[in-house]
Amino acid sequence: MAHRGEFLTIADVRTHVLRGGRGAPLLILHPEYAANRWLPYHDALAARFQVFAPDHPGFGASERPEWLDGLDDVVLHYADLLDVLGIERVAIVGTSLGGWIAAELAVAYPQRVERLVLAGAAGLKVEGAERFDVFLHPIEETLQHLFHDTSRAAQLVPTEIGPDVIARAYGEAATLARLTWNPYMYNPKLERRLRRISAPTLVLWGANDTYLAPAHGQRYAQRISGAHFELIDDCGHLIPLEQTEVFTRRVIEFLSASGTEAASAER
Amino acid sequence: MVEFFYFHLMPWPYLPDDFDRRHASSWVTFSNQYYDPQRGHRLYNEYLDEMEHADRLGYDGLGVNEHHQNAYGTMPSPNLMAAALVRRTQRAKIAILGNAIPLRDHPLRVAEEVAMLDVMSGGRIISGFVRGIGCEYLSLGVNPTYSRERFYEAHELIVRAWTEAGPFCFEGKHYRVRYVNIWPRPLQQPHPPIWLPSQGSSETIRWGAQRRYPFISVFTSFAQTKRLIDEYKAAAEAAGYTAPPEQIGFALPTYVAETDARAREEAKPHILWLFRRGLKIPPHFLVPPGYITEESLRKFLTAGLRSPAEMSFEELEAGGYILVGSARTVVDRLKDIHKQLGFGLFIGGGRTGDMPHDKALKNMELFAREVMPHFR
Repeated sequence: MAHRGEFLTIADVRTHVLRGGRGAPLLILHPEYAANRWLPYHDALAARFQVFAPDHPGFGASERPEWLDGLDDVVLHYADLLDVLGIERVAIVGTSLGGWIAAELAVAYPQRVERLVLAGAAGLKVEGAERFDVFLHPIEETLQHLFHDTSRAAQLVPTEIGPDVIARAYGEAATLARLTWNPYMYNPKLERRLRRISAPTLVLWGANDTYLAPAHGQRYAQRISGAHFELIDDCGHLIPLEQTEVFTRRVIEFLSASGTEAASAER
Repeated sequence: MVEFFYFHLMPWPYLPDDFDRRHASSWVTFSNQYYDPQRGHRLYNEYLDEMEHADRLGYDGLGVNEHHQNAYGTMPSPNLMAAALVRRTQRAKIAILGNAIPLRDHPLRVAEEVAMLDVMSGGRIISGFVRGIGCEYLSLGVNPTYSRERFYEAHELIVRAWTEAGPFCFEGKHYRVRYVNIWPRPLQQPHPPIWLPSQGSSETIRWGAQRRYPFISVFTSFAQTKRLIDEYKAAAEAAGYTAPPEQIGFALPTYVAETDARAREEAKPHILWLFRRGLKIPPHFLVPPGYITEESLRKFLTAGLRSPAEMSFEELEAGGYILVGSARTVVDRLKDIHKQLGFGLFIGGGRTGDMPHDKALKNMELFAREVMPHFR
């Protein structure tokens, strides 16, 4: 599927967006890895939807503004992005950090979210549930925790690793730290606020996720009215990168039920 | 004229036998179950005895410092150690090298404690400020991406608290106090000397030179020390003055014995302990995301510097990371370094790594008696 990249200026922040496909708009929010990559799951979803896949501020080719210091800044940034794109309502698919941003966006602007897919979404803390600390481990070890079949981690490793590549990865990690260092990967207020979400919601989780245990997904599903929780077998944390086919099939099924009539009929 | 400081890290030397094999670091994840408070009691008292002894031996100052949750240095509060020394020493300056101010949620506490120490000691306090090393951002939950701006802002708050009539209002990005009005105020005017112990980013060096804060290069190779000090001198010139020797210092683990051979033999295991165990720190602990800029990291990687943790004792010696030998050798070497660097502050280590008390005493006595007088 043809796609292209473009830069948009969103309230002074130079923002890189990959886009492709036709149909109803779909916002894809990337995990804390694999920014600025048009991957097979983007392709599959672009066959049915008009896909917008921006790089979060401070990831990929998007600049990191000095004032960026919380998820709320990212949420407002994406609300502005939708305005610039002229999109009033949108379906959102977010993975890990992207899932967290998607959930916060749906909390802040429930009326703008058509349907919501959270895949291994960060953002909640569940007492006793396992969370891998990316800041305590070298990247080699982190990669092992992102996939059930660890051989799949190779797709995230650049072919050549030199000072530039390492410095760029360090820069993205700095953005991640800026947003998630403490509290680590969650917003203590989010769980209480999830009741504001009105969009039909699908929560997908890798059955073998050791980065963020499935209990986090169950909690999302409990707190979002009418949400549906589903485990994906033989799958670690980055579902769209590990079980691409299952993931895209489930997402297309779910989103396709979301024509205006279908969505309101469900409600 | 050089001022000599006796610097202590107060390490925890009793690592398990399998430390090298089983433990990735002596920081952050190395369990405090390896700390034994009974042995700690004896150690703290030995360490403080050594520092008090340094005062009697004629060292110009005693150096304490702040590190958290590790075996490298068991001094999470340097101000407490300074307080323990204030009443037991008469003459020596007490250099806090330094308070890691960005790690504090309330830097006014530092302003207050240093002011207390300054008043108690009759104005013998030197107040170093540091950012804290990367590990400590993990250990204390402070966001490393704010390290530098918190450092600058905490510094500003502390200096203003020391120098401006209170109460006044301070509203920064990280610290907000509407009624700053510290009691006591420091005795030294306008405030206790501020030093910058550092491994030396260009930004810190420039910032320090502009304020005439003495720059102390810590545990760097001779080549690196020279590069940093040259950079500092150039920054001072750019700021419109020539940096005097009393603004230039460096910290160097030092050991003196009767002969060169004996000094090497006696010091070697303890120096290797310092670099290989105390400083066993994987890169992701040392530079957590945002602790340094991408540009600094790129420069560092491009330079391809080797870590001293990977060096042999001979390499450490040749690289100038340490100074070991007979008094004659140490004097000659130090004179040579002095000629090249023009330093006025020398921060020597006495009890490096897991060195026992008796060696530490012998070392400091020989250094005070046979080395220091050559620089008076």
